[in-house]
Amino acid sequence: MSEVHVHGVTHAAERAAIEEAGARAVVHGELAAVVGDAAPDTRAADLARRHWKVLEAIAATATVLPVRFGTVMAGDAAVADELLAPDHDALRARLERFEGTVQLTVKGTYDEAALMRSIVEGSPEIARLRGRVRGLSEAAGHFDRIRLGEMVAGAVEQARQQDAARLLEHLDAHAIDRRVEPATGTDGAVNAAFLVERDRTAAFGRALDAAAKELAGRVELRVIGPLPPYSFASEEAAAWA
Amino acid sequence: MAVNAAPSGYLERPRPSGLADVIEIILDKGIVIDAYVRVSLIGIELITIDARIVIASVDTYLRFAEAVNRLNIADDGSQGLPELMETVTQGGAKSKTKGALEGVKEKLPGGGGDDDDKGTRRKRTTSSRSRSRSSGDDE
Repeated sequence: MSEVHVHGVTHAAERAAIEEAGARAVVHGELAAVVGDAAPDTRAADLARRHWKVLEAIAATATVLPVRFGTVMAGDAAVADELLAPDHDALRARLERFEGTVQLTVKGTYDEAALMRSIVEGSPEIARLRGRVRGLSEAAGHFDRIRLGEMVAGAVEQARQQDAARLLEHLDAHAIDRRVEPATGTDGAVNAAFLVERDRTAAFGRALDAAAKELAGRVELRVIGPLPPYSFASEEAAAWA
Repeated sequence: MAVNAAPSGYLERPRPSGLADVIEIILDKGIVIDAYVRVSLIGIELITIDARIVIASVDTYLRFAEAVNRLNIADDGSQGLPELMETVTQGGAKSKTKGALEGVKEKLPGGGGDDDDKGTRRKRTTSSRSRSRSSGDDE
């Protein structure tokens, strides 16, 4: 009996798509679990890549519920008997809820020079402190510098909220649902997941183009997807458990 | 509408996703199968924490201070800004200022150190891991 990674759950009819994605299907009733063999000593980073690739490939054409990355079960029989059989109807209902939808994740990165410039220009207080710090030696200006940086950090946070709002204004009309997640890194501007009807992704893309035009020179946008509904299926899971 | 049926530039040319993107999107998301064993993902968690932690720290403040100091703004702020902006945007500043996040990304694909010894064993650490997650998110 060999352990398997459970990547996701989809319709039994998607067996071909699962195999094409480089995974195996464990079928029970109307459902198929997407599994891969759990080779010992595989690096976590490689596991993450594999999990991603498999589900991304399936999501290109089918609806698939992502199972939390890192889930391992005892073997195919356990997947069928302990996951698909007891939760068959609940899983199917959840799958149906996401039918015909994909997740598109939009990330924005600041052009930091442009952002800093707008912050200095927008705040006389920051501009003043900046002027003072520039005239001081590294040692003499240390605490002023920290204070300046802290004020800038506050202004960055404000800018994030404003820029995220501008982006959402363009995109919300084209999505069924969305989650705004924390932007990461010091240059992260926005990080939002959108649940979009598969046949409306082109319209979503055009709205994204318009948003990109509006934010040009300040925020660079990119889109990741179509993906399985990672950011949306998890909340369901909490309610379900 | 009929006139610009042009497809979206973004969706036509999706960027390949780096591992940092992948991890950020998949980690702690998706259906939880109750009480099942998990792979140990310690290396990966550290990477994500790195990416999330930086904003409210003295290091970040100093970096931001340096970034605003580097700007070439006339002190009265009245002249030539658009042009300057072009120069700064296209010049060296960009590559410098990406530092914090890029560092995290680049650490990943090569991997090497942190994340390769965990493999698929070490399962019983799992529930404490998922508990610690929610507190981590709040920070």
